[in-house]
Amino acid sequence: MPLNIDFQQILLHWMNLAILTGGLYVLLYKPVKQFMDKREAHYQELERQAAGKLAQAEQLKAERQAQLDQAGEEIRQARAKAQQSAQQAAQEQLDQAQAQAQHIVAKAQAEAEQSRERIRRESQRELRELAAQAAKRLAARPGTDPFDQFLDLAEGGKSHESR
Amino acid sequence: MKQRKLGLVFGLAAVLLLAAALLAAALLAGSPGRTESVQGAMRDAVLHDVNQISLFGLKAVTPGMISALTVTAALLIAAACLRVFVIPKFRYTPGRLQLLLEEAVGLFDNMARSNSPHRNRFLGLYLFSVGTYIFIGTLFELLGLQAVTVAGHPITLPAPLSDVNAAIATGTLSYLVIVSGAVAGNGPKGVLKALKEFSLPISMSFRLFGALLSGLLVTELVYYYVSLSFVLPVVVGVLFTLLHALVQTYVLTMLTALYYGEVSEPSHKEPKKLQAKKA
Repeated sequence: MPLNIDFQQILLHWMNLAILTGGLYVLLYKPVKQFMDKREAHYQELERQAAGKLAQAEQLKAERQAQLDQAGEEIRQARAKAQQSAQQAAQEQLDQAQAQAQHIVAKAQAEAEQSRERIRRESQRELRELAAQAAKRLAARPGTDPFDQFLDLAEGGKSHESR
Repeated sequence: MKQRKLGLVFGLAAVLLLAAALLAAALLAGSPGRTESVQGAMRDAVLHDVNQISLFGLKAVTPGMISALTVTAALLIAAACLRVFVIPKFRYTPGRLQLLLEEAVGLFDNMARSNSPHRNRFLGLYLFSVGTYIFIGTLFELLGLQAVTVAGHPITLPAPLSDVNAAIATGTLSYLVIVSGAVAGNGPKGVLKALKEFSLPISMSFRLFGALLSGLLVTELVYYYVSLSFVLPVVVGVLFTLLHALVQTYVLTMLTALYYGEVSEPSHKEPKKLQAKKA
């Protein structure tokens, strides 16, 4: 054969390579690869656990946030309710005060009216009494003009002509 | 610090003394004389028709065959030692040796995954095995192990793949792996797909053979003349060998992975309507 090619030796080399491949597979390739796969699986598991914990933490955070939001909403509602009730109470008090004021004013007006009526009646009565007294005095003093006498009496006994 | 410096000086002195002793021994021992001409050495490096070695008394084989068996035995023994003493102590935070092993396995596994996403389990193993074989086999020539030929001459064992039979075996085996990937991925039709690349086993084999042989020839040439045997072999012997061990490992494994990925990819049939439309 050219180049001294020997098929028997080629077959021997094949056998040699086959033995080497098999031996390296059993002794080196397989165990190293198994270990590498095992380590990869281990770190993947760690990563998975970390991801699970992260998701759990995220969920917890979301729950807490929801609770916070709910509490905020409750606080807002309670504040609104309190404000409403305070406004209502204030309005009631105002209404009550207004009613009282109206009542007081009405009462005061009524009392004032009564007082005015009483004073007017008393004034009329005093006037009538004065008029009656003056008429009696005039009637008792002869020679004087009754009208002048009346005027004098009315002006406190001074002669109206002297002014 | 002072002790360290002192140790370094003593070490250096010991190395120099050893080198001087070896030089003196070489000069005193003298040379038995050349058994062959440079042309003969070159011819034998290519053809291996003169310096053959007996394989357990069964058959005279090329020195490359003995190198291949030695490399395989050394690799299997090293793998067994690693399996027994190192792998059971693997930890999740790797040490240096563990990192080296994981990198070696991961490198070829990732090469298989990235080039052949559909089918890569066996490919990863094959690439690891053949890559290790080519790399260690190429570095093997640096050891300069001696053997005795059937004619009784001493001979330095070459890199296994500098033997044309080993290169052909590696190239054709890689091609068979590619064909097996095609069959596994596409059934009998896959064979046709793989056979389209009929020149692949020849190109793969002779690429390996040419690359390794050129290294061997340069080394033979350098060592043939005593005047070239100082300092120069450090560059030619070590750096070139390291470099082409890396390059040849990368080239063969990458080519195998690429073609395997290409032929093992399941073919997608286009619907008849779409084909008609295209037509």
